Amino acid sequence: MSEFIQLVIAGLTTGSFYALVALGYTMVYGIVRLINFAHGDIFMVGAFLGWTVLTALAATHMPWGLGILIALVLAMALTGGIGVVIERFAYQPLLSAPPLSILITALGVSLALENGVLLIFGPGFNTYPQLIGSGGFMIDGARITDIQVGIIILSFLLMAALYFFVHYTFIGTAMRALAVDRDAARLMGINVEGVIQITFFLGSALAAVAGVMEGLYYTEINFFMGFVVGLRAFTAAVLGGIGNIPGAMAGGLLIGLLEAFSAGYISSRWTDVIVFLVLIGTLVIKPTGLFGERVVERM
Amino acid sequence: MIKPFLTAALPLMLPVTLAMGAASAYADTIKIGVPGPLSGPYANAGIDIVNAAKLAADQINAAGGVLGKQIEIMPEDDACDAQQGVQAAQKMVDGGVALVAGGYCSGAALPELIALHRAGLSYILDASTNPKLTSMGYDDVFRTIGRDDEQGPFAAAFMSQYLHAKTAAVIDDNTVYSKGLADNTVSSLKKDGVDVVYYDAITPGQMDYSAVLSHVASLNPDVIYFTGYFAEAGLMVKEAAALHIKPKFMGGDGTNDVTLIKTAGPAAEGYTATCAPLPQFLSGAKTFVTDFTKKYNVAPGPYSAYEYDAIEVAAQAIKAAGSTDPDAIKAALHKVKDYNGLTGSISFNSVGDRTIAVYITIVVKNGEFTPGVMLNPAGQWVPVGG
Repeated sequence: MSEFIQLVIAGLTTGSFYALVALGYTMVYGIVRLINFAHGDIFMVGAFLGWTVLTALAATHMPWGLGILIALVLAMALTGGIGVVIERFAYQPLLSAPPLSILITALGVSLALENGVLLIFGPGFNTYPQLIGSGGFMIDGARITDIQVGIIILSFLLMAALYFFVHYTFIGTAMRALAVDRDAARLMGINVEGVIQITFFLGSALAAVAGVMEGLYYTEINFFMGFVVGLRAFTAAVLGGIGNIPGAMAGGLLIGLLEAFSAGYISSRWTDVIVFLVLIGTLVIKPTGLFGERVVERM
Repeated sequence: MIKPFLTAALPLMLPVTLAMGAASAYADTIKIGVPGPLSGPYANAGIDIVNAAKLAADQINAAGGVLGKQIEIMPEDDACDAQQGVQAAQKMVDGGVALVAGGYCSGAALPELIALHRAGLSYILDASTNPKLTSMGYDDVFRTIGRDDEQGPFAAAFMSQYLHAKTAAVIDDNTVYSKGLADNTVSSLKKDGVDVVYYDAITPGQMDYSAVLSHVASLNPDVIYFTGYFAEAGLMVKEAAALHIKPKFMGGDGTNDVTLIKTAGPAAEGYTATCAPLPQFLSGAKTFVTDFTKKYNVAPGPYSAYEYDAIEVAAQAIKAAGSTDPDAIKAALHKVKDYNGLTGSISFNSVGDRTIAVYITIVVKNGEFTPGVMLNPAGQWVPVGG
């Protein structure tokens, strides 16, 4: 029993990272039909920005809680800004071009981000300061750390906030309108470019939260860390039904749990096989993913 | 406007670059290729190796060089990757190196040495410990470091005799080096009467290994031995501590890097690794450590002394050969006997391995690696340097 609880907690923690990153993939796909391959690297940039802020703050000896809050907010704002800039200069000019051009551009942006960080921060590992101790508690023989609880709670809060934003605010309604029909939305007087930029900002900011939390939790960050997480998060978005927000959250958590259970009960060698078998199985039975609704109703 | 300029300038530039290429080919230097991971997760290790090579070359050159010529180090990035390794080897061949001395990941060194063998060049390995590398039937591969089939039995003996472990878990990361060391350790553990309750691989880059660790913990081994590299080892040590896992966590020589201590933080205290002796703990390497630290402002890495010796041996061989002819150098390398290097007396056996390879344990104390124990010739465990 204790091993089961331990695996659930491990799965939920990694699943939270995947879910937060998957939201960015799914929101962007829902609105502009672009699989933003640079999104995993946006997550990595967020981790590095958080690291920069935290190391700069380390000298001031402020309480670590406040330091982390500042790092999170700054990383979210800056990474969100980078997301908007990328959208404005790399994707916006291609919005009406054939889909392949924008896809290739996304790959180019991904390479540019990875190598940019490589040039600035070097090829080795950068380590986050050890701010949060390994304090925790036991449940039925399983040990749960405070930081795991923090990661899971913060991710669920952010996911809930995003859900309400999309469903109960004016901009959220505009985003959903864009997802259904961009031209019709424009005719209704919606500022299409503005809404797309807000979407990129939100997706990038969420990825930055995941990046900073990953840095705090695992300590070591590297310029290629976005690749694995990006791939998993994209899988999560597809599994949940790409374009669908609750689907991305469920997909992320599901993949985290699947990874943990297959590593714990079967073998770590089989993790990828099992994750992708489940993905293929799901897509065969439900081609639009777990939460995929009628094709017109995305977001 | 730019385009016409470029097209006009290109033909002008071509002869210049050609002339430069020709000039360096006939320059008064002897090139030694040094492949290693200069980018990617293991870049730290690769840079340490190249730095040691450059230090050795500088000192040889300051003493007059070899055959009246200066030694020039040609570093090539293999990114710890088989494909990049082949390209790196090709670049070194094209660059006109006399021989190659370096390498880090066995997985990259293997294709490199095949490519170099085809070009007829000798390769002295300084860090790659997979037994297969010197078992290919090639007569132009040498090694200044020990092999995993020597480290495996040492690790097994340490676990069974020194830690009195009855059960053990062995984890590798599916790379050539890691799998080779794990296989050797598992078979030695079985020979020593230790029950191997878990033997499986993790996937590098996954970050979260707590699922594997909690499964291992449920099997309750006395000790966990991880044969992969330091990036994953640091994460696993940290995660094992967060899970309050009881078994002692140990690793092979690939985990010997300060990144592990930085990542795991306080959890790294007491972490033990088996490895070839570090330059810091070698009585013959005192001046080397000072020179290296003075030049690069960091302490030498775990393989720096082995690379330094590799370059020294290479220079000796070129001197003995009296030319940069690859066959003459190869023959001279086979004749190297009792060369007094930083890492002890160097002689190569028929396949190119060192006749005597020593292993020690190192333990993390107060945030740094400190010497642990070693086996003396009488088969007793004694403190290193004591």
